[in-house]
Amino acid sequence: MGRPSVTVLRLLVGRYLLGLRRRTHVAAVSAVSFTAMALGAAALVVTLALLAGFQSTIRQQLAVSGVHAVLRAKVGSTLPPGDWLERLRERHGELHVRSIASGAVWCVSEGGAVPAVLAVVDTLSGVEVNRVLAARLGAGVGAEVTLATPRATLTPLGPMPLRRRVAVDRVAEARPGEDRAEVRVPLALGAALLGGAAVETVELRASDPSRAFSVASDVQTELPDGVEVISFRELNRPLLAALALERVMIGFGVALVMAVAALNLLCNLALLAAEKRADVALLGALGLEPHSVRRLFLILGIGVGALGGVIGTVIGGLTAVVLDVTRALPLPRGVFVVSHVPFRVTAGAIAVVLGVSLGAALLASLAPARAAARRDVLQGLRYE
Amino acid sequence: MSQGPPASIEAVRGAGLSKGYGEGDRRVQVLAGLDISVQLGEMLAVVGPSGVGKSTLLHLLGLLDRPDAGTLELFGTDVGSLSAAGRARWRNRRTGFVFQFHALLPEFTLEENVAMPMLIGGSPMREALAAARELLGAVGLEPRRDHFPDQLSGGEQQRGAVARALVAGPELLLADEPTGNLDAANAESVFEVLRRLHVSRGLTSVIVTHNEALAGRCDRILRLVGAASGDACSRT
Repeated sequence: MGRPSVTVLRLLVGRYLLGLRRRTHVAAVSAVSFTAMALGAAALVVTLALLAGFQSTIRQQLAVSGVHAVLRAKVGSTLPPGDWLERLRERHGELHVRSIASGAVWCVSEGGAVPAVLAVVDTLSGVEVNRVLAARLGAGVGAEVTLATPRATLTPLGPMPLRRRVAVDRVAEARPGEDRAEVRVPLALGAALLGGAAVETVELRASDPSRAFSVASDVQTELPDGVEVISFRELNRPLLAALALERVMIGFGVALVMAVAALNLLCNLALLAAEKRADVALLGALGLEPHSVRRLFLILGIGVGALGGVIGTVIGGLTAVVLDVTRALPLPRGVFVVSHVPFRVTAGAIAVVLGVSLGAALLASLAPARAAARRDVLQGLRYE
Repeated sequence: MSQGPPASIEAVRGAGLSKGYGEGDRRVQVLAGLDISVQLGEMLAVVGPSGVGKSTLLHLLGLLDRPDAGTLELFGTDVGSLSAAGRARWRNRRTGFVFQFHALLPEFTLEENVAMPMLIGGSPMREALAAARELLGAVGLEPRRDHFPDQLSGGEQQRGAVARALVAGPELLLADEPTGNLDAANAESVFEVLRRLHVSRGLTSVIVTHNEALAGRCDRILRLVGAASGDACSRT
């Protein structure tokens, strides 16, 4: 004698699931549950891939165009003097190091007057405005802009704001999430406008954007007392947190599709248990033990759910990959930072979807399996 | 109350078996203190009017139900203390059932249906199917082994059910109106198969039937007249 009931369970599950040759109604019910689970899994995979794609792109853009770490004074607004900054430059040739002083400024052009942040950058040779300021001023490369600071200069007409008329040399792309108008000027011009600009912050950027998250830790030990480093993660904490929250919430919302599919599975299993009541009772009369009946319905439910989940995951994953590779969903340039809707299938997302499928199928199968196992054999035999 | 004829070996021994259904005023007492004895190798027919408790008695003997009172010994074992799983194993290995309805499972071929008790017992598929084929040959259905139940006549289905009841080599055969749904010719055919296999396999059989003619061909008749009159029985 082999292991009790294993062969018969395999036979029953196979016949009920596949509906081989006869009784296609049972197979149709199984197919509906299977399809619902597969669709739910596919929807979840595609959604998570879409979110991962967008978020990955945003992070990438952030790393490519943004600052990877900032050095600033722990106390006060100016960094301590000394040659530590030069030494940092020498030791980390792979880092772009920009010393910055900042102040408030009015930018005036034919398009109007716009308040902006004046950033004095030691590595600049010309005047640079970011795209936010360019849009508000209606000024592009070559446009003449007057910069006026609150610092007064004495004229025959009395104290007047200090002004400099400059030409815009470059319009810098806005970083993701940047909404602040900013004009960046070379050291000499900045010193004139602000009156001897002391270095307030130092921006660090690695040549390799993939190192964005590690720049802060790389330089941490080489900083003098009184200087602190703000990491890429801290600099972008609100945006990164929002992205993570978005992923969780949308993933949770789409996971409700799986919940609906699981409820469908539960209903269909309950229907199957009711339809097969007499047959299950007959099997019980022939000696099938209650725990085997429970296993039968658990295997049926988990089989449908897991199979649906796996097939749905494969379909969803392939769909996401094809959509990404073929760039099937283009986006208007200038509005978005990417040219097409990006999809990125991750192992973590696959694991989550498979886990959710299996868990949902198990939960959906428990009640019908338990009810079927507890059903009285005699009542079932009397049932017509 | 009545007893079977004295014999040296008892396959079934029930004492004071009682069974009722429902609660309070609606309670119906079906069996009240029934004593029963079936000798090893005996073919007992149980007859009586509807509702008298024939099927209930069969369910008690088949461990499909528990008596409210009384003791039951099958082949010398007190089966009253068996767990649900133990009762299921007993049914699988030591008892064969033939029902009036639910003859065969619709999703399975006749051969698979017949093999089902052995598969439930854990036998390998090949072994179970070989035994099923042998039994199907014994009941004259070997050529129909790949057919599904809805491709078989009522008589063929019931003969298939007889083959299924015996495939696992039980000692006790319980049949609940096995010919109740059949015409005279098919009823005769099924009963003949039952009778032949009962003898050739040395079974102890209890057959519930309304058919007095078939009952008369059994070794003994147990005539139930109802709990109201004390489960009065007579024997032939």
